[in-house]
Amino acid sequence: MTSIIAPTVIQSVGITPLEVALFVFILITAVLTALFRDVLAAIVIFAAYSLGLAVVYTFYRAPDVGLTEAAIGAGVTTVFLLLTIAKTTRPPTDELFEPINWPAVAVCGLFALVVGSTLTAFPAVGDPNSPILTNPEVTGYYLENAYDETGAKNAVTSVLAAYRGFDTFGEAVVVFAAGIASLLVLGREVFTA
Amino acid sequence: MIDPGSVLTTDLVGLATTRHAYVLFVLLSTIGLYMLIANENLVKKVIGVNMFQTGIFLFFITSAYRVGGSAPIIEGAGPYVSPLPQVIVLTAIVVGISLTAVGLALSIRLYNEYGTLRADALREVIGDE
Repeated sequence: MTSIIAPTVIQSVGITPLEVALFVFILITAVLTALFRDVLAAIVIFAAYSLGLAVVYTFYRAPDVGLTEAAIGAGVTTVFLLLTIAKTTRPPTDELFEPINWPAVAVCGLFALVVGSTLTAFPAVGDPNSPILTNPEVTGYYLENAYDETGAKNAVTSVLAAYRGFDTFGEAVVVFAAGIASLLVLGREVFTA
Repeated sequence: MIDPGSVLTTDLVGLATTRHAYVLFVLLSTIGLYMLIANENLVKKVIGVNMFQTGIFLFFITSAYRVGGSAPIIEGAGPYVSPLPQVIVLTAIVVGISLTAVGLALSIRLYNEYGTLRADALREVIGDE
């Protein structure tokens, strides 16, 4: 698939069968997550949904993001959600699905229409001529100089830890603040169990 | 390989086969928004926020993608995908889990105080006080 020897791109833009399969899987799990009345079932299906998305990220050549989504989206988020229903309640249900809330469907339909009307303005998925890929001053600069300037072969690592080091530091501050906030809100008994 | 005319196609089939990941981004964000509005259970509202976020992440990852490109690990001479949107998504995933943790902690606290996780029941109980 990669063309290191011959940099001429033979593959053209357009949806591939793998993408179709993954997208159908993701859409089905997303709809089921929204509709299942049982919270535990929704949490488990949401974990499957995250895993599907992790595969999509990896297919789109973002292995770092795929790994993080699998670990945090499918892993840590699921654990947090399960801990929450273990500490609170899992409402008993006799029906499989939630009733559909039609006013909410109308609002969401409007949202989808407004956002969807911008779709024609996007470049095709994977188009090598899209502005983000052809810009020599941004994407080109980082791909060109990341290794020389930071010594990291993975450009994602060099941007995360060097060019955007302060941003990543701010992110660590956010995680720290969230941990403190959670502990303050809960008192002290929850994390000792 | 890419003719510029195809970029301007406005028919729905062309849109669904060339902007497919962007279509999925709109659909996932919409389903997340629906969960946020329609589900009364607070835990499912938090799941909805997460789903909305993952839709946005998909948008960023897609915008970095290049057909025939390889992951941005600089070895050899291939065309690479853009590393910059991927980095911002990595940061956003970690900020997202922080938001989820605080939201769930608040839900647990509400349950301990009022004995319910349903938003409509909570509105009633808090309104009565």
